[in-house]
Amino acid sequence: MKISFPHMGYSYLALKWLVENTGHECIVPPEPSSRTLDLGVRHAPEFACIPFKILMGTYLEVAEKGAEVILTSGGMGPCRAGLYWVMHQYILDELNTGVKVVAFEPPLCDLKDFIKKLRWVRKTGGLSVKEFVQAIRITWEKIKAIDEVEMLSHEIRPYETNRGETTRRLWQALEMLDAANNEAEIKDAMQEGLKLLQEVSQDHSRNPLKIGIIGEIYVVLEPAANHYIQIMLGEMGVQTDRSIYLTSYTRKNTIVNLEGDIFEVAKPYLGEAPIGGHGANSIGETILYARHGFDGVVQLAPFACIPEIVAKSIIPTVTKDYGIPVLTLFIDEQTGKAGVQTRLEAFVDLLEKRREVKAKRGIERLVI
Amino acid sequence: MIKGYLGVDVGSVSTNLVVIDDQNQLLVEQYLRTNGKPIETVQQGLYAIGQELPADVQIAGAATTGSARYLTSLIVGADIVKNEITAHAIASSALAEDVKTIIEIGGQDSKIIILRDGVVTDFAMNTVCAAGTGSFLDQQASRLLILIEEFGNYALKAKNPVRIAGRCAVFAESDMVHKQQLGYNTEDIIAGLCEALVRNYMNNVGKGKEILAPVMFQGGVAANQGLVQAFNKYLGLEVIVPKYYGVMGAIGAAILARQASRKKIKTSFKGFNIQEINFKTSSFECKGCSNACEVVQFYENSELLARWGDRCGKWEMDSM
Amino acid sequence: MSKIGIPRTLAYFIYFPFWKTFFEELNQEVIVSSPTTRDILDDGVREAVNDACIPIKLYHGHVAELASKVDYIFCPRLVSVRKHGDFGTETFCPKFLGLPDMVRLAMDNLPEIIDVRVDLKQGKDELLNVCYQVGDLLGKPEVEIKGAYQRALLIQKRFKKLLSQNMMPEEAIDILFANGERKSLLSRPDLQIAVIGYPYAIYDDYINGRILSLLEKENVKVYTQDMLSDKMMNRQARNLPKSMFWYFSNRAVYGALHFMQQKNIDGIIHITAFACGPDSIVDRLLEIESRRHGQIPYLSIAVDEHTGDAGVRTRVEAFLDMLRFRRDKS
Repeated sequence: MKISFPHMGYSYLALKWLVENTGHECIVPPEPSSRTLDLGVRHAPEFACIPFKILMGTYLEVAEKGAEVILTSGGMGPCRAGLYWVMHQYILDELNTGVKVVAFEPPLCDLKDFIKKLRWVRKTGGLSVKEFVQAIRITWEKIKAIDEVEMLSHEIRPYETNRGETTRRLWQALEMLDAANNEAEIKDAMQEGLKLLQEVSQDHSRNPLKIGIIGEIYVVLEPAANHYIQIMLGEMGVQTDRSIYLTSYTRKNTIVNLEGDIFEVAKPYLGEAPIGGHGANSIGETILYARHGFDGVVQLAPFACIPEIVAKSIIPTVTKDYGIPVLTLFIDEQTGKAGVQTRLEAFVDLLEKRREVKAKRGIERLVI
Repeated sequence: MIKGYLGVDVGSVSTNLVVIDDQNQLLVEQYLRTNGKPIETVQQGLYAIGQELPADVQIAGAATTGSARYLTSLIVGADIVKNEITAHAIASSALAEDVKTIIEIGGQDSKIIILRDGVVTDFAMNTVCAAGTGSFLDQQASRLLILIEEFGNYALKAKNPVRIAGRCAVFAESDMVHKQQLGYNTEDIIAGLCEALVRNYMNNVGKGKEILAPVMFQGGVAANQGLVQAFNKYLGLEVIVPKYYGVMGAIGAAILARQASRKKIKTSFKGFNIQEINFKTSSFECKGCSNACEVVQFYENSELLARWGDRCGKWEMDSM
Repeated sequence: MSKIGIPRTLAYFIYFPFWKTFFEELNQEVIVSSPTTRDILDDGVREAVNDACIPIKLYHGHVAELASKVDYIFCPRLVSVRKHGDFGTETFCPKFLGLPDMVRLAMDNLPEIIDVRVDLKQGKDELLNVCYQVGDLLGKPEVEIKGAYQRALLIQKRFKKLLSQNMMPEEAIDILFANGERKSLLSRPDLQIAVIGYPYAIYDDYINGRILSLLEKENVKVYTQDMLSDKMMNRQARNLPKSMFWYFSNRAVYGALHFMQQKNIDGIIHITAFACGPDSIVDRLLEIESRRHGQIPYLSIAVDEHTGDAGVRTRVEAFLDMLRFRRDKS
C-alpha cells in the first residue's frame, strides 16, 4: 500500500522508515509550504484551526502523489482535533480522492480497535508479529534520537558564534539519523550528531535569556507552522525549552500518564482538567517555567483554539502572581513571519530590560 | 560641527525619517508614502532629508525600525536595527519619563505598550484584523467622500455620535450605509466611526491591559481630533498627543542610533547621496531539496549584500 | 432568603425549570437576567477574553447585568450530563468546562459564584449529589434538599414533555411558571423547517436576528432538535463514523440527521455561532450530509456580535423562496 501520514516536525523521518520497513511504500509528506496552506484553506471550514488546514493541505498533496492510506491519530476529546480525521475523510470523499484515513484512537479508550488497525497494517505489509514489533521498536528509537539532537540544538544555538551553524549541523545530524537502519546504527548516528552539535564554535561568556515554549501540540511541534520560532529565538540569543516533544507526548498518552502532576499545578487557577488539548498544561507549564527561573514564556496556539483560549484568559493572573511575562501568539493562515519576528524581538527586549532591572533594582532608573 | 543621529522607520504605509541631535532635539523630519516600494522611497527620503539638513550637522549614527527594518538597514548602513515596539517606547519615555501607557495607531498596525518606571512591562499588537487601525478610517472616509484630514473637524461638531457596529471594516461599512439611509447626519456618523475604532482597538489590542495615565497617543492617526476625543471619552482621562506624533518610531530609532554610536568607532552610515546606487533584489528557487525555498538576493550595484529566505541556512548570508 | 442569579443564556433554555424549581423549593428567590440586549452584548464583548466565541462573551454580559442585583450567581461547571460518545467521554465544550474560572478572573465586583461541578456521567445519583452541594452552600438540611430535588425533577420532566409537543422553551417555561397559555398552532403551515443549533443560539432572539418569529410570520412550521426524545436522537449515532465530543453538538448533529430523514421536512437551517470551535466541524459535516441525503436544502447562518435583523431576513427570505420554488416545480 502507498501510505502517508501527517508531517509533524522532524518525526516524519522515523515514520517514513517505519512505513518503508513494514512492506509498504511511503509517500513522504512534504514539509508544509504556502501551497499546502492554500490547498488546506480552500477546502477546510473557515473556522477550523490552522492544524486542520495544514493537515488538509498535506493530505491533498500526498493524494496527488498517489497515497492510498493516511495513518493518523484520533483522540477522546474534548479538543476538536480528535475529530479531525472524520472531517478530513468527509472532505477527501467529497473531492473524490479515494484516500482512506485510518486513525489510531488512544489505546486507553479502545484497545481492541487499536490492535485491529495495527494488525491490518502488519498483515497488508506481509510481516510477522516479531518483525513488526522490531520495526516499531526501531522507529521509536529513531524518534527518541531525533528528539535528543533537536533538544541539544536549542540549547547550543544561543551560544553559537557563527549564525546558522547550529542549524546546519542539526540538518546534518538528522540526515545521518535518516540513513540509520537498526538500533546500533541509530545509536552511532545519534552520538555523532550530538558530537557535531557540541563542536559548534560557541561563546560561553554569554548568559542567554531562557524562554519556555508552551501551547497546542501541532503548532509547537511543527516548525513550518510556527515560523521556526525556536530557531528564530535561538539566533536572537535565547535558549528555549519546549514543553512538548513527541517522545514525552506519546509516553504520556499511551504508556504512562504523567500529566497528573501538571494538572495539580494548574489547579489553583483552573478548577477543571483536562479541558482538552493542552489548555490545562499551558497553565501548569507557565507556573513550572516560572519556578525554574525562566525569564519568560511564549504560548503558541492556533487562532480560535478552544482550550488555549481558556488558558489565555487565565494566564494573566499567573503572570501577576509569579512575575513571569507570557507572550501569546495565535497563529492562522494570515500570520506572517515578519509579524511574529517583530513581536518576539520586542518580547526579548522586554525580558532583557527586566533582567537588568532585577540585577540593579533600586539603584538606577532605567530608560527602557 | 554638530553631531546628528538618523532614524528611519519604514512601515507598510509610510516611511519616516528624522535627524536628532545630542539633546534629543528634532532637527529635520521627512514623511513619505511607502507605496509598496521601500527601496526607492528610502532613497528619495534620504536625499530629501539630506538637502534639508543644516550643513554643519554630521551624521554620527543611524538606525532603522519598522516592518522593513532589515532591508532598510542594508540601504542606509545602519548601526542598529530595532523593532518598532521598542522604538516607540524609547521615543515616548525620552519625551516624558513617567509615561505609563502608549497607544500607537498606524496605517495597518496598531499597538499598545505598557511601561512602568520607564520599562516596558507588557505590549500587544493587533491580530489579523484591521478594525483598530488607520486604514479603517481611510476606507470609511473615501466612502463618505471626505478627506481624511477633515475627519477630526467633522467629528468635533457631532452632537450625538451614532453607534456604528462593526468588528471589521466591511461590517462597519454596511452598518454605516444603513445609518446613512436612516438619515443620520454626517458629523454624527463620523464621530460614531471614531468611537467604533476606539472600541475595536480597546476590545482587541487593549484587552486586559492596565491603562494608567499618563497615556500617550501617537502614530499618524493621532492627528485626528475626533479620535483623541473618543479616546478621552472611553478612557475617562486626557490622552497626550506628542508634538511629533507621526514620527515617534523614527525618533526612537534615532535615539537608539545615538546610544549605539557610543559603542562604535565610526558609523556605518552610507551618506545621503545614495540615489545613484542601484539597489535591487532578485530571487531564485533553490533546488536543493523538496522545500524549494525562494531565496532572495539583495544587490548594491553589482555587489551582493545579503541573501535570505532559505530554511536550511545553505544560502543565507548576512552582512550585519 | 438569598437572591440567586441565573444568566438567560447557554444552558438556561434546557435546564432552567429544574434549577428554578430547586432554588424556589429551598425558599430562594431566582432572578433571571433580561433577554439579551445591545448593552448586555457590549458588556460581554468588553469583559470576556478577546478570542472567545460570541456565546461566551454573551454569558459574561448576562453575568454583568446580574452582578449588582443578586447574592449568588449560579454558574455551574458543566462537564457532562451522560455517559455517551464512542469512548463514553462526551463533555460540554471546553469553554463550558473553564467557564467559572474565566468569569471569575475576567470580572471584578462579582457576588459569590456557585460553580458546582456537574459531571453526571459519574453515576445515577450524581445530580442529587450536586444538589446536596448547592443546598449545603445555602445552609439547607439534606431532607429539604432531597425534596426540592425531587420536585425539580418532576417539573423538568413536564418541561421536556411540553417541548416534545413542539413547543419552544420560553413558551414552555411560561406555561410552567407563569400560567401562560399555549400559543395557537399554525393551522396550515406553508413549509416545515428544522432549525438546528445550540439552544443559546436558536432561542436567543436578539443574537439570531429574531429568526424564529420571522419564520412564524412566513407561515413556516419550525422544529428544533430539542423537540426530539433522546432515544430518537441517539439512534443517529450509528450513522456517523464517530460521535462529536460535545453534548450540545451531538444533539445538533443527531437532530439534523433525524430531520434529514423525515419526508415532511422541507429544509434545514443551521444557526451557528461565530468563531465557535465545535461548529467548524458540525457545520461542514451537516452540509455534506445534507447533500448525501438527497440534496435536502441546507442554510447555515452564523450569528455574531452584529448580526443585523436585516441580514438574517434577507437570507431566510431567499431560502424560503427557493424552497417554495423547488416545491412548486416538482
